[in-house]
Amino acid sequence: MGTALLAFKDLTRPLDDEGRRLVVSGKIEPGEVLFVRGPSGAGKSTLLKILGRILTASGGEAWLRGCSWKDIPAPQWRLKVQYVSQKPVVFDGTVEDNLLMPFRFRLLKHKPSPPREQIKEYLEELQLPATLLDQPAKTLSGGETARMALIRSLLLEPEVLLLDEPTASLDENNRQHLNTLLQYWVVEKPRGIVMVSHNEQDLQAFPKRNSLFIG
Amino acid sequence: MDGYIPISNGQLLLTVILVFITGLISALLKLGLLRPLLWGTVRAFIQLTLIGYVLKYVFQWNTLWVIVPLLLLMSFIAAREATRRITRIPYNPGLNTFLSLTASTFVVGIIVVVLIIGPEPWYSAQVMIPIFGMLFGNSMNAVALSLDRMYSEIHANIEEVEQLLSLGATPWEAVVGYIRKAVSAGMMPTINSLMVVGLVSLPGMMTGQILAGMNPQSAVRYQFVVLVMVASCVAIGCLMIVLLSYRKMFDQDGSLVDDLRRN
Ligand SMILES: Nc1ncnc2c1ncn2[C@@H]1O[C@H](COP(=O)(O)OP(=O)(O)O)[C@@H](O)[C@H]1O
Ligand SMILES: [Mg+2]
Repeated sequence: MGTALLAFKDLTRPLDDEGRRLVVSGKIEPGEVLFVRGPSGAGKSTLLKILGRILTASGGEAWLRGCSWKDIPAPQWRLKVQYVSQKPVVFDGTVEDNLLMPFRFRLLKHKPSPPREQIKEYLEELQLPATLLDQPAKTLSGGETARMALIRSLLLEPEVLLLDEPTASLDENNRQHLNTLLQYWVVEKPRGIVMVSHNEQDLQAFPKRNSLFIG
Repeated sequence: MDGYIPISNGQLLLTVILVFITGLISALLKLGLLRPLLWGTVRAFIQLTLIGYVLKYVFQWNTLWVIVPLLLLMSFIAAREATRRITRIPYNPGLNTFLSLTASTFVVGIIVVVLIIGPEPWYSAQVMIPIFGMLFGNSMNAVALSLDRMYSEIHANIEEVEQLLSLGATPWEAVVGYIRKAVSAGMMPTINSLMVVGLVSLPGMMTGQILAGMNPQSAVRYQFVVLVMVASCVAIGCLMIVLLSYRKMFDQDGSLVDDLRRN
């Protein structure tokens, strides 16, 4: 599939029992942000979950750097193509416990945990105080939870981020900081982002962008 | 062992009084239990009479060719009963239940009969069948409880499981917390019964042996063996059922199956 970072063709999934189906194709180039747009209930979240292999498509195929998802085991794919839910789940323990939890999984055990410096850098860039690390994660506000979940995913060093309305619970100022971080992140390597957002400012924040309308 | 008082047919007929009391309560409170009560009573009587005959002949023949098929049949019935109680599972857990019940019961049953009780011959039906029967009964409840709990935990925590999966967890890592809860839910009643036995309850087996004239001190020894054997059988059965079943919550891609998302 050429140079595309992530490509997907004819991804299919029934949306209800009345025969409404999601069928989408698309791709992202390295360094690009793909905005998924469409009315509520169109299947935007469903598409992200399929791309992140949290839901299984009934048809179609996706490729990461030309490598079909049939040839990459789901757990590995999920680490490289990180799905960040609209309602991220936090687990018992402190924020730091939550951020480091994935590094206890078999797949990541051999990897060194990210240094505290890196975590603090992310926290700072997203306007979160470092003292948050020792706070029980379940006591975070909605906006804090969303940002913690994004950091948790960034620490896994994915190639593609699938972000479901990441700025929905943030105020203007925090929204800008988050977009600035992502803007830098996506071209640094280069990587890719698929984002669901209803906010025009999110769109404007990324010069290299594309839109995909569904529904 | 000969001090028991036999119950004559006439005496047996007097149990009608007890059934009448139960029926009266049901009728007075309009519980709607009259029919199931009568049907249940008749069934219990017929089933027990039949099993009395069957056991009599099985004990007489006392050969593995009869004992083993009978035990497998018991396991099959226990598995069906356990499966019947689990209604929300999105697939038929019958085979896994049968395998868990059979394996756990045979492993523990053989240890108890051959190593601990040691009858002559080692497969004596008179020992094997009651011991296995007790194991099946307890394991059946525990396995049903575990499986039901595993399913309802995962069903109630789909978002948590999916979050763990997206963070790189294997299916096993994503559900192991709920599997722990499921196994301990299955084991809990048995463990609890270890605490109160003799203080609050006199178990059926011991009661039976004492009524049959056995010296209470001997009956107590048997009962202790039975309690610990049930505990270990339940532990094995619960562990097996969740290990055999958890994968069915995932499709071949390692995502949770869609049936879990319904309702
Ligand atoms: N677990 C589910 N069970 C049944 N239907 C669902 C489920 N999740 C989503 N849907 C349906 O799929 C459709 C698409 O949902 P979603 O992808 O969340 O839409 P969007 O994110 O575009 O608002 C909706 O009609 C929704 O009702
Ligand atoms: Mg959505």
